Amino acid sequence: MSTAPIHAAHPEELHEVRFDPTMESQIAELLTHYPVPRAALLPVLWLCQNRYGWIAPGVIEAVAARLGLAPAFVQGVVTFYTMFHTTPPARYVLQVCTTLSCSVCGAGELLAHLKERLGIGPGERTPDGTFQIVGVQCLGACGGAPVVQVNDDYYENLDPAKLDALLDELAAVKE
Amino acid sequence: MEPTLLKARGLEGSRTLSSYLSRGGYEGLRRALALGPQEVTKYVIDSELRGRGGAGFPTGRKWTFIPKDHPGPRYLVCNADESEPGTFKDREIIEHDPHLVIEGIAIASFAIGAHTAYIYIRGEFVRWAKVLETALAEARQEKILGPDVLGSGYPLEVWVHRGAGAYICGEETSLLESLEGKRGFPRLKPPFPAVVGAFGMPTIINNVETLACLPSILTRGPAWFASIGRPRNTGPKLFSVSGHVVRPGVVELPLGVTFREIIFEHCGGIRGGRALKAFFPGGSSAPVLTAAEVDTKADFDACAEAGTMLGSGGVIVLDETVDMVEVAANLAHFYAHESCGQCTPCREGSDWLVDILERILDGHGRPEDPDTILRICRFASQGMTICPLGDAFSLPISSIVNKFRDEFERRIAAATPAPQKKQPVLPWAGPRPGFGR
Amino acid sequence: MPKLTIDGREVEVAQGTNLIEAARLAGIAIPYFCYHPYLSVVGQCRICLVEIEGQPRLAIACATPAVDGMVVRSQTSSRVREAREAVMEFLLANHPLDCPVCDQAGECLLQDHSMSEQGPQFSTRMVETRRTFPGLERRLLGPHVVQNQNRCIHCSRCIRFTQEISETSQLTYVSRGNRAYIDTFDGRPFDDPFSACAADVCPVGALTVREFRFRKRAWKLRSTPSICPGCSIGCNLWIDHHERTVYRFTPRENPDVNATWLCDYGRFLAESLNSHGATATLREEDGSTSSPPVEEATRALALELKAARTLRVVASANLSNEELFLAREIFASHLHGELVTPVWPGEPRRMKNARGEWLASSDAHPNANGARRLGLELVDEGGLARFLYGAADLTVLLDAFAHPYLASEEALQLLRVGHTLVFTQREHPTREFARWTLGVASLACNDGTFTSGTERVQRFQAAFAPPRGALPLGRWFALLARELGLARLAVAAPRDVFQLMVSQERAFSGLAWEELAGADTDSYREHQHVG
Repeated sequence: MSTAPIHAAHPEELHEVRFDPTMESQIAELLTHYPVPRAALLPVLWLCQNRYGWIAPGVIEAVAARLGLAPAFVQGVVTFYTMFHTTPPARYVLQVCTTLSCSVCGAGELLAHLKERLGIGPGERTPDGTFQIVGVQCLGACGGAPVVQVNDDYYENLDPAKLDALLDELAAVKE
Repeated sequence: MEPTLLKARGLEGSRTLSSYLSRGGYEGLRRALALGPQEVTKYVIDSELRGRGGAGFPTGRKWTFIPKDHPGPRYLVCNADESEPGTFKDREIIEHDPHLVIEGIAIASFAIGAHTAYIYIRGEFVRWAKVLETALAEARQEKILGPDVLGSGYPLEVWVHRGAGAYICGEETSLLESLEGKRGFPRLKPPFPAVVGAFGMPTIINNVETLACLPSILTRGPAWFASIGRPRNTGPKLFSVSGHVVRPGVVELPLGVTFREIIFEHCGGIRGGRALKAFFPGGSSAPVLTAAEVDTKADFDACAEAGTMLGSGGVIVLDETVDMVEVAANLAHFYAHESCGQCTPCREGSDWLVDILERILDGHGRPEDPDTILRICRFASQGMTICPLGDAFSLPISSIVNKFRDEFERRIAAATPAPQKKQPVLPWAGPRPGFGR
Repeated sequence: MPKLTIDGREVEVAQGTNLIEAARLAGIAIPYFCYHPYLSVVGQCRICLVEIEGQPRLAIACATPAVDGMVVRSQTSSRVREAREAVMEFLLANHPLDCPVCDQAGECLLQDHSMSEQGPQFSTRMVETRRTFPGLERRLLGPHVVQNQNRCIHCSRCIRFTQEISETSQLTYVSRGNRAYIDTFDGRPFDDPFSACAADVCPVGALTVREFRFRKRAWKLRSTPSICPGCSIGCNLWIDHHERTVYRFTPRENPDVNATWLCDYGRFLAESLNSHGATATLREEDGSTSSPPVEEATRALALELKAARTLRVVASANLSNEELFLAREIFASHLHGELVTPVWPGEPRRMKNARGEWLASSDAHPNANGARRLGLELVDEGGLARFLYGAADLTVLLDAFAHPYLASEEALQLLRVGHTLVFTQREHPTREFARWTLGVASLACNDGTFTSGTERVQRFQAAFAPPRGALPLGRWFALLARELGLARLAVAAPRDVFQLMVSQERAFSGLAWEELAGADTDSYREHQHVG
């Protein structure tokens, strides 16, 4: 099964965020894992990112209010970790590992190939919003170098040909 | 050697509870519950098991640091943050045998008297977090976890807590901050987590592989475990081998094999018939060893004697085509990206190293650069920083300069003066195409 | 009580004292940036490294408690000097070194420590282009605080201040590592009621106070200990002034009252100290005005006061104890006038002391409690209105700003009946009709004491002499007392008035003028609390 695309909510939808009953019950369950509500922050943020695609300021405010935290505090946490999207991501976020093992096994070629095929480099996205490239640090899969994580899924032992096949498959998926 | 930690690898449906039980799963936990916490701790001390996360601290002894008379709750945290470059062994265990980890968690929790345990898993490991969640649900269903573990009356809950992209959260206290819902800033020590840990309570943090060793220590006895390897360096060890080897991957071998055996016998040697140039023996934070040092024994003490460390057992193999200045720059980028920014020497030093190394690569090196790099490394390590991240980049990068200084000097000799331009730390354009190969 | 040796000096300190404070007691300054005596210890900056005998690694003094028998080396250790030199080099690696155009210059810890911790031979190896934060070099973070992120040394004092002291948690780091910067949530204004304290605790010029920026170089300023006139809490502060102009208030340490904090409201009253009343003005029935010299004015005043059949006096809870005492003696006891002190509740203010307890203001005056202690009648707005409604030949306002009601249409109408004599520091609507308007100098020119809401008698000192024509109110009273033949009260110095009160008033017995000053050395900023 191929990687599911991210559906990022439009910023307008996230001005004021109200958690629906499903989310509320999930949050309530998460809170039972910890002795203090603040500890549920990362899990709740994950819940939000899975739901809305990214962590908008409105989401931060809602999470902060739900857990009794200051919005600035939550913002500090969100921006400390690299995996939370603070802007709407593309449908597929290609996270190309650039740390040592992947680099010596061809991560540079993968990036060059992506640049050639998609016309974008790390930190950029295609105009149609399908792909976005992020140069990331070690993904902990060095045995399969070079590695690209697409959204939640790992793709290992890649080369330009395999990457092409993957991109073709992903681009073919309709909304 | 018959595998202990990876014996499920290759078995059909090895992740399921039924498969695990059919292989004698949770017998170690049963035995532990019968023995009682003190006896379990004694088993682990006698086995001479040392932490597999990187520091190599004796596991049983760490458990005894919990204050005896502490009234409130205690916690066990399983460190599955696995983010040391070159390390991918914990993922292998979770992928094939999640119940082995859960059993280890239950044994350790019982030994220290914890009723809540957390598995802190790196955010990128979405799939493996799900594997653990599924296994935990099975274990709860079968009353292996929950208010009455295996009918013993001992209650234990285990929760998966996902990180969100921060290498530093593999460091114990930073992990705890992250678990508590904060930025992953390492804490000042003392107090150590065994005294003041998660939520202000005594907490033991053990690596996935460390915990995975526990079931077999309980079932086969500490003497069996200690018979593998050599004194103070006992037991089986997973080595994650990556880079320019023919068969990269995770291999399970007794501590004390040589790196030559690991690289050439178990991983098929160097790709493309090329020659070995250098390797990192224990993740990228360990000082580099050269081809001439390949007969070093892969255990804690032998590595320390060789001026490096076994660390997490992540062996990164580099062949003769690799430019060591590129390697240093690549690592500098990693650590500058991952420095939490809390304390001065690490925050400023890692960024400064990136600037210098990128400048050398751009052909604008200066004669004093190698010494400046060594100076930065000296003052960003050895207790100058809050946590070991300063050492984590200072030791390997200074070792590269010391062992491959000629490569730096060659580039510098051909250099031209630099134009004034700041290299942004982020976003990094990535490694140069063709680097290594 | 552990006894330890620091750089060869023996010192005995309380249990739990850290090495920075222990060294301070021994007269040794250990440098620091992120440490602050009233904030949590984070050990981030690493400049306070010291060598402890028997420990292989250098330790940070801020996080190391003093232990009996400990032998600590700071300046006397070459390892320490070398390490601190390196830490300074790291800190300055990306610092813009724009001291000539930086308003923090002169009171910047980075400047100070680069002088003290880097040897004369030191020269940096940093040749790279410095990291910058485009767009954050000159940003108004909130109404009072200007940010220049390029100068930030990531000490996190400001963040900890909003988390631990003001409890708004408005500031945070965004991003991490060397890319981290200080920000508010979603770029909202930093409108914390204590926002300027974040600039105070900033050891460098990353956060500066908008109202003070570029008005005066820090080294030109002289500091005089005073008390905040904003409410009844009585926060201790320094009046920072130069050439008879007040430039700012900065907090003055007092663990029982305001630790090292000031609220923005109180802090920005500083500007009001620059208005002093003009010379005495006499308005004749026909509307013509004249400005007789002080001696002539007091003589005329004394005559009018003596001639008044009914005299009513509005005192003020903004006056010092000494002024209130003289007012009571002269106007009530001697002239048999009716005297009230209006009290205005004002906005609620609060302040956190060093023990983390919130103190709340009861009213908007620094000395309502002093008036109460002196047995004066305190009235609210309704009481004041009723008081003014009663007819009198002569009404004396000892402070036109005693209560905002005095500027209301209703009050002005009531005051137009009969003669009014107004002491004022600033322009006030009563000037239109008052028979006498007498210029009073501001708090900056006055000595005296206030009694805080928590019964603390605290002394403030005159920063400079008043401009010509304006007198401190106590001085006016002394002159009047002489004209009225009250030799006992004709004392000019507030200190002598205080002695009278000590001998005469139960509320003041046993107090000594010298002991009421609080922290009165200029050491506050040298002690690096403000930075």
